[in-house]
Amino acid sequence: MSNLTIQFEIVTPERVILSEQITQVVVPTKAGEITILPNHIPLVSSLTPGVIIAKKEDGSDVIMAMSGGFVEVLHGKVVILADTAERADELDEERIVEAREVAKKAKEEVKHVDREQFANISAKLQKELARERALKKWRKL
Amino acid sequence: MSGTKGIQARIKSVKNTKKVTKAMEMVAAAKMRRAIDAVLKTRTYASLSWEIVLRLSQAVNNEHPLLTKIITTGKQKKDVPSSKIAVILFTSNRGLCGGFNSNIINELYKTIKNTVKSENVDLILVGKKGVTAHNHYKYNIEAEFVKPDIASGVDDVVPIVKLVIKDYLAGKYSKIIIAYTDYINATKQMPRVKQLLPVNVNKEDEYLGTVDVGENNASSHSVIEEKPKKKLNDSNEYIFEPSPHEVLDEMVPRLIEVQIFQALLESNASEHSARMTAMHQATDAASDMIDELTLTYNKVRQAGITAEIAEIGAGVNAMN
Repeated sequence: MSNLTIQFEIVTPERVILSEQITQVVVPTKAGEITILPNHIPLVSSLTPGVIIAKKEDGSDVIMAMSGGFVEVLHGKVVILADTAERADELDEERIVEAREVAKKAKEEVKHVDREQFANISAKLQKELARERALKKWRKL
Repeated sequence: MSGTKGIQARIKSVKNTKKVTKAMEMVAAAKMRRAIDAVLKTRTYASLSWEIVLRLSQAVNNEHPLLTKIITTGKQKKDVPSSKIAVILFTSNRGLCGGFNSNIINELYKTIKNTVKSENVDLILVGKKGVTAHNHYKYNIEAEFVKPDIASGVDDVVPIVKLVIKDYLAGKYSKIIIAYTDYINATKQMPRVKQLLPVNVNKEDEYLGTVDVGENNASSHSVIEEKPKKKLNDSNEYIFEPSPHEVLDEMVPRLIEVQIFQALLESNASEHSARMTAMHQATDAASDMIDELTLTYNKVRQAGITAEIAEIGAGVNAMN
């Protein structure tokens, strides 16, 4: 099994985050976290904000925070179209905590005001939480 | 000394014009740089998402009412009696950008003139100059959106997407076409007319050129091209999680949104480069004109002096 690899690509509207051969990847879909191994059946799913873990050929993990998007699995290829995504090693903890606090506060303030606004802020908060989780995972490595 | 005054005045006015065109060139150059950055960034994303749309359109048959209609209209075309088509036309807000606007409008005309009557074409304008298409070819204007000169985010195109999808699903249009100018490099821009809905898988070249002709196409393409191309025609059975309905409901509008947004970015980058080139040429032309006028001015001045000396000489001769 170990010599099988998947061509993995994760892109956001801003840039290509990672494009590499990997042996497995864990992605958070709407229906729960799934691990994609080589020879996975073609699959399309939408993603929730969360952590993506890709295992590279040399066995090391790449951890990324992602704030929603889609994943498409083809034969020997995985494409993730993310709304935003960052690699954990690029994240800055202080900034995340700060952003999360701001988002939380904002969420409480507008809870009963505007549904759309509320949804926006919730999404932001989820994104920050995902970032934090990614960072924590990365620290543990 | 006759005539020199007039020439001097002309030189002065040309010099002023040159200053203006020079300034506009600089402004366009600055805007262009930003627009190009934006367009290059999203190209990979846009082309990947377009590929997914195409693959999905092959794989999905009757999974979802919205999708079947959006994507596999090939079969359903008979159900859509409307002969009308909608064209999303990207133009500039301001003129002075060379042939930018007329190029795209002519391209649009050339592409659709044989298949659709002009009264069946509804324009969705993005950019003020699109009105010309209405004036020239008698297309109807369905809606006009304000085009941001520097696009800030996908939010810019959300209203357009909503309108288009709503009307398309309601059966108002049988086709949605998008006309924009593809940015190739600073000196070259290509007007393009591409069919957005229904997704047309058979015309592969039509979509390939659109999104990622450019410096970075090699990288984004080579990865995708070889395998899935072949597979496009195989049965590509997908699993959808949680359900096809949910996934596609969310995904397809989003992917279309990305396409329209990309078209906006391409268009912006092209516009600014077109304007920069046009203004550069204008500045050059002004310089040439100034040189020419200065030469004429000097000639006239010299002629005047010669004539005066001749007159004085003649006067002296007469007195003697």
